[in-house]
Amino acid sequence: MIEIRNLNGRLGDFLLRDIDLTVGDGEYLVLLGPTGAGKTVLIEYIVGICRQDSGEIRIDGQDITPLYTEERNIGYVPQDYALFPNLNVEKNIAYGLEAKRLPRPEINIIVERFIARLGIDYIRKRMPLNLSGGEKQRVALGRALAMRPTIVLLDEPLSALDENLRSVMARELRKLQQDSGATFIHVCHNFEEASDVADRIALMNKGRLIQTGTLAELLRKPTSEFAARFFKVTNLFPAEGRGSRLAINGVELVCSRNVHGAVLAGIRPEHICIANGAATEGVNLLQARVIAVRRKVSMTELELDAGIPLVAHCMGDLVPQPGQQVVVSIKPEDIILI
Amino acid sequence: MSGKVFAGRRLQSSPGKHRSDRVIYRTFFYSFAGFLFLYSAWLFCSNVDQLFVTEAAVKTRALTGWGEDQGIMNMFAGGFWKDPYFWKSLNLTLIITVITTVISTALGIPTAYALSRYNFPGKTVIEVLFSSMIVIPASSVGLCLIVMFNYGPFWDLQQYFGFRFAHSIFPGMIIASFVLSFALGLSAWKATFESINPRFEHVARSLGSSGWRAFRTVTLPLAKSGLAAGVILAWTRAMAEFGAVLFFCGTFRELPAARFSPMEHALGIDRADFLSVAVWAQVEYGNVEYGFALAFVLVLIGGAAVFLMHRIGAKGYIW
Repeated sequence: MIEIRNLNGRLGDFLLRDIDLTVGDGEYLVLLGPTGAGKTVLIEYIVGICRQDSGEIRIDGQDITPLYTEERNIGYVPQDYALFPNLNVEKNIAYGLEAKRLPRPEINIIVERFIARLGIDYIRKRMPLNLSGGEKQRVALGRALAMRPTIVLLDEPLSALDENLRSVMARELRKLQQDSGATFIHVCHNFEEASDVADRIALMNKGRLIQTGTLAELLRKPTSEFAARFFKVTNLFPAEGRGSRLAINGVELVCSRNVHGAVLAGIRPEHICIANGAATEGVNLLQARVIAVRRKVSMTELELDAGIPLVAHCMGDLVPQPGQQVVVSIKPEDIILI
Repeated sequence: MSGKVFAGRRLQSSPGKHRSDRVIYRTFFYSFAGFLFLYSAWLFCSNVDQLFVTEAAVKTRALTGWGEDQGIMNMFAGGFWKDPYFWKSLNLTLIITVITTVISTALGIPTAYALSRYNFPGKTVIEVLFSSMIVIPASSVGLCLIVMFNYGPFWDLQQYFGFRFAHSIFPGMIIASFVLSFALGLSAWKATFESINPRFEHVARSLGSSGWRAFRTVTLPLAKSGLAAGVILAWTRAMAEFGAVLFFCGTFRELPAARFSPMEHALGIDRADFLSVAVWAQVEYGNVEYGFALAFVLVLIGGAAVFLMHRIGAKGYIW
């Protein structure tokens, strides 16, 4: 288990403030946040490349701050993979095992196992300069996992890969984590990538930890405007709470809990249901006019005017046309209150 | 094997571009180097029986007024290679430059590594100090050394132990040639280390390597061509040192044999000058032919060193 308590530090222009984070054994945690959030700095503190100004990092109860990187037994895969250019694939994987002074036959067995597991037998003698992004990533993972670390830190491992390969490798990563039983901390800035792999997500911004939770929790209950915007709660309005009702720019909506005073109300685009034609029964039914229709890969995005500007996602082939009047319904429990 | 595959990939990705660049570059480099070499060789060989370009020497002497003091002209018969002064000077220069290069390398590589990887108090001072050494005239460096060693605590220390640095072969000449050799070597080694991603060492250490093993097994193999080029550069700069050696050490040719230590006699470096100083001394004394000959020896040594450095520096990993 990794416990990070009151961690503060400055590294160049990056500043980490009051980081408190616990990662359980065998958990796959994704550190998510925009560029410059301090994710990589946090990883570097954990791996021991640099030391934090204050606070502590504990692994299974032991404070690792005084330990050198080589004493921490943490697998580390940096963003550029940093495969040693002077060693071929086999020797890259064997590098750490040689540092451990394992007997040569044992090293060979472990290297063979990882080469087979990662499907990189065809490139075993190649130098890193001659590898593609995906191949480099497999080798870097093999090199880190061959050491049997209890913790593996991956810094943007999928960012250098193309879209198709990214989802394949995300599944592969998840499987490798389950097979190894190690705790994985994976840094990324794309929440779709995070959703592919994460048990839990820690959202960071401007050197602070904003919120941690499962993907479902973060999507349903963002606790800040930043989290809501990051998780694409496109419809976000200042509202006034009047008990179980919300007033948003003259439009009244029923919400699932009592609120009073100024709040921020959010509705995810996919939670707005569109009904062509006459109004159906239920609460939070709004008459809306379709302003624009944008066709996306897996859905259609509608821009609506319902007294308040709304963006809705529409699945299926029955898509309203611009200028058409529609009725939208929003379930009270789908209204996010911040 | 890897290099070939890599080259193949690059050619495939952008047909012709890199290849034509390389052909143009090589053609230019070898033409230029070849021209210099052949011209030097022609000058050297065409006049070898009469030492060197007599006519050019006479004209130079007439133009510059050098060699008015004919009394101390080095009158010798036959080629300069028959003169012990030449061989002793060559010997002295090689010994001094090799020692200087060894010291520069031993101090410079760790310093360059520290400057490229760590932040520490005084880092900027060191960088500015040695960078400025490259741009200030060597004569000023020589004067600085005189001021440094002939006054104040350093002078008192020398007096106390009964020796002096200035106007000595050991360690005076080494100190004088060291300063610029170290400065130039340092900049080359620092650039080499800065070009190597420190992430390699971080990863190596996360894989259980000590800092030294990470350096030895990853950084050093990646840096070796750059480091070797830096060593050659440091040696070449030591070889080319003139102003600092002249100001700090002067010439030794006219000194009595008793002035030199038994070790200097044993090494065959007594009554000899640093080659670059010897060139100046010969021309100044009126032996313009001798000066030309020595200068061309230096040109050939320097050219060969730069060629070697180029060959070594051209290899390595690029990212």
